[in-house]
Amino acid sequence: MSQSGFVVDTRSIWIILLQSGRQPMLLLLGVLIYLGVRTFVAPEDLDPAGHRALAVFALCVFYWVFDVLPLMITSILAIVLLPMTGVLPAKEAYGLFGNEAVFFILGAFILAAAMMKSGLSSRLALVILNRFGHDPVTLLRGIFALNATMSFFMSEHAVAAMTFPIIVEIIAALHLPPERRNYGKSLVLAMAWGSTIGGVATLLGGARAPLALGILRELTGDTYTFAEWAALNIPMTLSLSAAAWILLRTFFPTGDIDISKAEQAVQERLDKVGRMTLQERVIALVMIATITAWIVLGEHFGLASIALTAVVALFALRAVQWRDVEGYVNWGLILMYGGAISLGSALHSSGAAAWLADQTIASWASGPVTVILFIAVSSVALTEMMSNSAAVAILMPLSIAVTSQFGIDPRITAPLVAVPAGLSFMLPIGTPANAMAYSSGYLRVQDLVIPGLILHIVGLTIFNLMIWFYWPLLGLSP
Amino acid sequence: MLPNPGILKLDLAIRGAGLGDSLRARHELLHGRALRSPVAKSAKSIELVLPGDVLVSTPVGESFTNDSPYKLMQDADRFLLEYEGEPAEVRVVAPPSYYAKKTRSGIPMGRIGSSYGPYIAINPAKRCGFSERGTQCRFCDAATQGADRDEPIPVEDVIDTVRAAFADGNSEFVYLHIGYVDSDDAGVEFIEPYVRAIKRHFDTLVAVQLQPPRENRWIDYIYAIGVDAISYSVEIHDEKILESVCVGRAKQVGRPRYYDALRHAATIFPNGTVWSDLIVGLEPIESTLEGVDTLVEMGVLPVLSVFRPLSDTDLRDHPMPTTQDVAPVFAYLFERVKEAGINMNWVRDLSFAMTPFEARYFSDPNAIVPSGLGPLYRSKLGNLAVRNLSRLRRRLRVRQVNDSYGSSNL
Ligand code: SF4
Repeated sequence: MSQSGFVVDTRSIWIILLQSGRQPMLLLLGVLIYLGVRTFVAPEDLDPAGHRALAVFALCVFYWVFDVLPLMITSILAIVLLPMTGVLPAKEAYGLFGNEAVFFILGAFILAAAMMKSGLSSRLALVILNRFGHDPVTLLRGIFALNATMSFFMSEHAVAAMTFPIIVEIIAALHLPPERRNYGKSLVLAMAWGSTIGGVATLLGGARAPLALGILRELTGDTYTFAEWAALNIPMTLSLSAAAWILLRTFFPTGDIDISKAEQAVQERLDKVGRMTLQERVIALVMIATITAWIVLGEHFGLASIALTAVVALFALRAVQWRDVEGYVNWGLILMYGGAISLGSALHSSGAAAWLADQTIASWASGPVTVILFIAVSSVALTEMMSNSAAVAILMPLSIAVTSQFGIDPRITAPLVAVPAGLSFMLPIGTPANAMAYSSGYLRVQDLVIPGLILHIVGLTIFNLMIWFYWPLLGLSP
Repeated sequence: MLPNPGILKLDLAIRGAGLGDSLRARHELLHGRALRSPVAKSAKSIELVLPGDVLVSTPVGESFTNDSPYKLMQDADRFLLEYEGEPAEVRVVAPPSYYAKKTRSGIPMGRIGSSYGPYIAINPAKRCGFSERGTQCRFCDAATQGADRDEPIPVEDVIDTVRAAFADGNSEFVYLHIGYVDSDDAGVEFIEPYVRAIKRHFDTLVAVQLQPPRENRWIDYIYAIGVDAISYSVEIHDEKILESVCVGRAKQVGRPRYYDALRHAATIFPNGTVWSDLIVGLEPIESTLEGVDTLVEMGVLPVLSVFRPLSDTDLRDHPMPTTQDVAPVFAYLFERVKEAGINMNWVRDLSFAMTPFEARYFSDPNAIVPSGLGPLYRSKLGNLAVRNLSRLRRRLRVRQVNDSYGSSNL
């Protein structure tokens, strides 16, 4: 135990006991829910396999929502339960782990790891900040744009984690007096909002989109190319960025600030990283080639194959070593995806998803407008409550079932679920980027919540406008 | 008839006991080594168990013990304490046999540990930092005693000693104490490996006495690493007297810091496991009472010891208090602790000081301890329960902070 890595909880021991008894209680409750669905819910128009899939789904939703087990462990539980309860043969359940989305995200993690480990990503960040950061407004804009655009190409969480220390250093170098603290607030918020907004633009920004795509593909056979996805979402990202910028400037106006010290700090960091190494050049070239291939050849070869080819190329060119990437790859997320896709597929093939949609949304929704609105709002609401990947895992099978019943193109479900699930601006726990911004000590909770809530509402409005007026132009009609 | 066990303990601690002829030659019964405490600090003392299982470290063979009204005698296998011509049976705790053994590196264990009732007391440090600066407490000669040690005692030797003491059968708990360490943590990091090793090797409770650290986080930390009871002893409540008697405590630490640290510790450690010694007889009685109030109000257990002038200290000529003078303080101590609902069962069975639990004899000899669990705490089962509850409490209260963003919101 390190001297700072612990806290002594001084609340009443009964409260602590109650809290620590929470997990076993919830574990048990989940089992009771499973048994309850198996015993008391007797859907007439659902065959026994569907009934059992429903019970497994109820158990997993409960565990995901209440964080009873780590997300990936709940996913593993799903994979184990599906063959054990006879919903899917073992071969099929485990076979779904081999979904293309899982390998795409694995490739994306390794590519991002190579960029981070080699220092290429921080160099990029520093070069951009050095170029644009000459007055307070351009520096702020630079940070926002930097985070947003980098999140087009790598996980928004990784971008935030990478730029956060640079921003903290800039703020420290500025020695902001109390009356200029607004500038500090806007810098950390620009980092958090920029990466969140940028993260919904492409398939690389977050892991939600590949998961949604994986489930869509498994359940309907449809998918999107890299370019299609980006084309759907970049206009939304641009409009939301403009709205966020206005909010930043309105809520946190800054006067004249001498930022020469910040420039100096950035320059010093740049000096420290030195000239671009051969390894960085190779990685940069491979990245450019990969993104081009995703855009041009994605449909033909598949996104995962291109990502993994790039990974092989990096190793073949000795630009990266296995132990470098090992620590950066979120293996838990990969396990989570495998399980979520298996469960989604089981729900679909057993008819449980359609039955559930019938009993819930379909029974009261009056038409496509309400269905679309309901899915988008549910996605936002679930994301505030739980991990956005879990929200996607829960909503995708249901959404595909309900859209089919209303004659809506099921392809719409992937962006409809995945994009709102990425929009988390309000709470420190909403996303790691928010948590980092909050941990800087510059923000009070209300600095996040009030502008965050407005941005949320604006975001949802823009999103709905896109669905009804812009997406149809690309052939995706609700 | 002998006074009640509480008053008898106090009187014996102050006046000592004469020895009957049959005992004079029994040197093996003498506890030569003593803990840093004005009560126990006597070159020669015998550990007695009085009726009611009250333990007292009784000075014997000193000049002042010649005038004592108490006489300790041996009758066959029995030991008798005579008072006003009436003998009453007491038990004598012989110095444990491990004192004569050696650790793996050849240090005599008697130079490492001292057993007092169920505790084995160990000071593994070199010497007290106050004495290095010439600001040691004027009643204390531990500084001079420890000065012959140039290096701290290795952890392994401490473990050997504790193992031997436990094997002897009388010791159940470990009491680590160090003097002043001039650093932010006041020696927490120094004591940490000893605490961890003891906890790793033995299922026991560990009490620690040291000076207050500069920051409260060290108090949290020492709890987190496994210490079960803690003491920051202010010794003297009166600020002026503290300054003149304990220059180091007053100047290098400062009285307010003792109280702040104790107040914080009382929110971290279990009820009744944070204590502070107060010396009775070095300041006016009213001031000691005020000290008791101050401690009790913050949930800290005051443990009172009566001042005794030691020949090799500055205060050798300071007058000793009498039992009559100080008895009301102990009655007050018990009442105040009972009123405040502080658990008296943790800090008990100290032969060299008077715990609130024993102070009940001054208030009401038949007094029942508030929790009524005293005997249970002393039983094997009670001990087992206490150890496990202590562990469980720590497990519940100490939480690791996971500052990794990687695990959040996948
Ligand atoms: S702190 Fe005071 S009493 Fe304790 S060892 Fe040092 S000088 Fe002696």
